[in-house]
Amino acid sequence: MSSDFDTAGSPATETLVVNAKESVRERRAAQIQRVGDHLKREWQLYIMLLPMVVWLIVFLYKPMYGLQIAFKDYSIFKGVANSPWIGFEHFQTLFSNDQFLRAVKNTLIISAYGLLFGFPVPILLALMFNEVLSQKFKKTTQTIVYLPHFISSVIIAGIVITAFSPSAGIVNTILGWFGVDSVYFLTRPEWFRPIFIGTGIWQEAGFQSIVYLAAIAGVSPTLYESAVVDGASRWQMMWKITLPSILPTIIIMLIIRIGNILEVSFEMIILLYQPATYSTADVVNTFIYRQGLQGGQYDFAAAAGLFNAVVAFILVMTANAISKRFSRTSLW
Amino acid sequence: MSGVNLEGITKAYGGFQVVHGIDLEVQEKEFVVLVGPSGCGKSTTLRMIAGLEEISGGSLKIDDRVVNRIAPKDRDVAMVFQNYALYPHLNVEDNIGFGLRIRKESKEKIASSVEEVAGILGLTDYLKRRPADLSGGQRQRVAMGRAIVRQPKVFLFDEPLSNLDAKLRTQMRAEIKRLHKRLGVTSIYVTHDQVEAMTLADRIVVMHDGRIEQVGTPMELFQYPANTFVAEFLGSPPMNMVEATVGASDSGPIAIVGSAQVPLRRLPELQNCVGEKIIIGIRPEFAVPQPTGTKGAVPITVDLIETLGSEALLHATLQDKPFVIRTETMTSSNRLENVGAFTVPPEMIRVFDAESGRALLGQGKAQ
Amino acid sequence: MANMNLYSRGDKLFVITNMVLIGLFALSTLYPFIYITSLSMSAGFEARAGNVILTPVGFTLEAYSKVLSEPQFWISYKNTFIYTIFGTLMSLILIIPGAYALSRPQLYGRRFWNLMVAFTMWFHAGLIPFFLNMRDLGLLDSYFGIIIGFAVSGFNIILLRNFFEGIPQSFEEAARMDGANEFQVLWRVYVPLSKPAIATVALFCIVSRWNGFFWAMVLLQDEEKIPLQVYLRKVIAELSDDEEFATSLLNASYSVETVTASIIVCSIIPIVLIYPFLQKYFSKGILLGGVKE
Ligand SMILES: Nc1ncnc2c1ncn2[C@@H]1O[C@H](COP(=O)(O)OP(=O)(O)OP(=O)(O)O)[C@@H](O)[C@H]1O
Ligand SMILES: [Mg+2]
Repeated sequence: MSSDFDTAGSPATETLVVNAKESVRERRAAQIQRVGDHLKREWQLYIMLLPMVVWLIVFLYKPMYGLQIAFKDYSIFKGVANSPWIGFEHFQTLFSNDQFLRAVKNTLIISAYGLLFGFPVPILLALMFNEVLSQKFKKTTQTIVYLPHFISSVIIAGIVITAFSPSAGIVNTILGWFGVDSVYFLTRPEWFRPIFIGTGIWQEAGFQSIVYLAAIAGVSPTLYESAVVDGASRWQMMWKITLPSILPTIIIMLIIRIGNILEVSFEMIILLYQPATYSTADVVNTFIYRQGLQGGQYDFAAAAGLFNAVVAFILVMTANAISKRFSRTSLW
Repeated sequence: MSGVNLEGITKAYGGFQVVHGIDLEVQEKEFVVLVGPSGCGKSTTLRMIAGLEEISGGSLKIDDRVVNRIAPKDRDVAMVFQNYALYPHLNVEDNIGFGLRIRKESKEKIASSVEEVAGILGLTDYLKRRPADLSGGQRQRVAMGRAIVRQPKVFLFDEPLSNLDAKLRTQMRAEIKRLHKRLGVTSIYVTHDQVEAMTLADRIVVMHDGRIEQVGTPMELFQYPANTFVAEFLGSPPMNMVEATVGASDSGPIAIVGSAQVPLRRLPELQNCVGEKIIIGIRPEFAVPQPTGTKGAVPITVDLIETLGSEALLHATLQDKPFVIRTETMTSSNRLENVGAFTVPPEMIRVFDAESGRALLGQGKAQ
Repeated sequence: MANMNLYSRGDKLFVITNMVLIGLFALSTLYPFIYITSLSMSAGFEARAGNVILTPVGFTLEAYSKVLSEPQFWISYKNTFIYTIFGTLMSLILIIPGAYALSRPQLYGRRFWNLMVAFTMWFHAGLIPFFLNMRDLGLLDSYFGIIIGFAVSGFNIILLRNFFEGIPQSFEEAARMDGANEFQVLWRVYVPLSKPAIATVALFCIVSRWNGFFWAMVLLQDEEKIPLQVYLRKVIAELSDDEEFATSLLNASYSVETVTASIIVCSIIPIVLIYPFLQKYFSKGILLGGVKE
């Protein structure tokens, strides 16, 4: 490379340098040849990969590039690239915006309650399914409790709205039997979270139990056999054998849930909330939806979205890292 | 000329070299068997011939044509896999005919070829069955049928019998041999099993750590192993290796083993090297058991006698190392208990250089 | 294990209590569906008065005939079928070859490509950039936009890739020796061998397409193009907001509630019809997808 070296070096170093250069060049050439050969043999694989990669770039990575509008004064006419930079202005507005702060708070509260009440249910269900002796009964009940998972949120919301309606809804009818006055639940902020979380449990708990049932299926039968010989009752076996055996799965699911704590099913919230319940129902994503998609403040809403995405990413990666450590010893 | 020619074939994974320059010439119609310990590069070599692994260096010729960079399908070779790789969703007929269909042969041609092959392999009654409904031996046959039907120039086998039980293995081994006689296609066969190697091979290639140790007919390898590795690898139980020192006597060279003296053949290499270390190799079959104290015999301590019907194995200790003798029981059972020494005819002793492990053969039998 | 006589009294009590509790949970899951179905078949004023508890009261199918005579209902039903069928096909066309390529050890940059897929599961640009991107691509208010825009999901790719990786490499090698090119290997060997996994992915797609609501609502303004879920949402919102309309129906044979309920029933039916498959493949699917990454 350097001519200094060539002139200054002794003949010995010179040949050494030349050799080194040559071998580098040779290796380069061999490498290019190898890649060429590989492409000649395997080009079809890359053709197969191409459409999917193009899709990922166009529909998922290009929007990431578009995230820069969070730092820009975005104008539809100028487009993403040509709108002027304004730094962190949107973020400053965001963190002094009461509605946004409320949305962050609501997201965390709804998630936390969802976790607290929703997380144990599928585990309990799985433990209970495992204790059912009649296969027919087990199959039938499982078929029923998995069903709501496949029903769209619009329908679920429709059912909820109908069931909780003040005049005709079954809930108020039943309350009426006990002399309670009809309540318009869906306009009451204090009722939104219980209804939303309860609906979530009703819809997903059955289906989520599948993971735990699979873990239970992996427990060695010899453990139970020796417990029977030792005279353990089924109740004891459930707590002393089954539950500890699926503990790794439980921990991993918990970590994953915590990692996704910002992910509230906002689609359902959009369907169930109304201005009267914003104070307890509005979460970050519904806030973004209203400000951005309904209100047209794209750049500001994108800033909220970026904040959300970055925090979520950190949480998810942390959860992944932790669960990887656990999963080494577990099935899942 | 459907030979296969390997010249300096190497293979490296990343920077890690696993095959170090293999030279091998397989003649047309020859049946060559690659053997060697696990991980020595047999499969890798075979797969490079098949075109399933890229060749890192050297040149590979099939039929005098360099095929290093030819796709597997254009090399005109067929391979039988260890797990057979029968397509589970196709029946026997379609499994055998798969290659022909891919090559867009006519329906009639496919049908008649498949029928012929099924006839050869005795699969005619099973054509409509799925692989899952076949026995191990039948699956093996289908795998062979899939290879045969295309009438390739070369057959490659990677441990095709290792998934079968001992009895079926013997049976299929004979069948492969018969097929090879009948079809006369050049074959390269990888195995762990030295009995397979000995019975099937026209020539055996012994590999070790990505290199060829020796190539030769089964008898050549058995009688004149080129080095201690081959000597110990072939034969069961393996050849006994005994450290010794060269000595001289009136009747010729001797090996001094402890206090005993074992007469050796008059090998030119042994002249003028009295006192040097050698290893003598004695096959268990060739050591003749002698009663304790026999004059001129090497004393040993017998620890265990295993009787295998017509034969017995004497497990003994010599110089703190195991020493095995295989002997017939019919003639000698009455004196097995008294054995405390052995003798060997000098021509049955193999002599190896202690340092390099190379055989001192005397008549240039080495490859 | 199933012989109850072998159990102690405590165990029997436990087993029976357990069965009762599970039965109750199952009933509480089933009840809303029964309730909605009964509601849809009840007389409007009975429904309005809250008299429907379990079975239809004042049985009538008026609500259905009202719903089925609405042209917009059929338009959106047809649209949902279009989005479901073509969307699922689009997904499979993109995902199957892609996942196969990702599963091949000989693929150069395999780690990079896999990371590219996995990263999309960890980080989303969010609603706004995605929406603006669709707009910039001219995919607002377009059938094609809905079909292509949601065709690929990282989870489905990884699920299928894991399945392909579990198929012994020797099948590919055998097919290659038999003369197959990579497309033939995939189409004639790997696809037939992966039917369960592909069925799982297809069902994931079908369900998410059939139920898809949010983006259809955001991206489609044209009533001619909206799917059933968006239509259903509109009906529910309009009916429950419009008190005047509601009271005008006070004595009609159908009501806000029964109309809503009958649309719900109509849109659940297809899901219930394929439910046996859903149950079978979904449980496998979530376990398969969870194995790695
Ligand atoms: N894809 C790979 N990457 C890195 N090293 C590999 C790869 N495949 C094989 N090797 C290494 O190459 C060496 C030779 O492997 P090969 O499969 O050829 O052995 P073999 O002789 O067939 O053994 P066996 O009798 O166990 O089948 C082994 O050390 C193995 O670890
Ligand atoms: Mg091998």
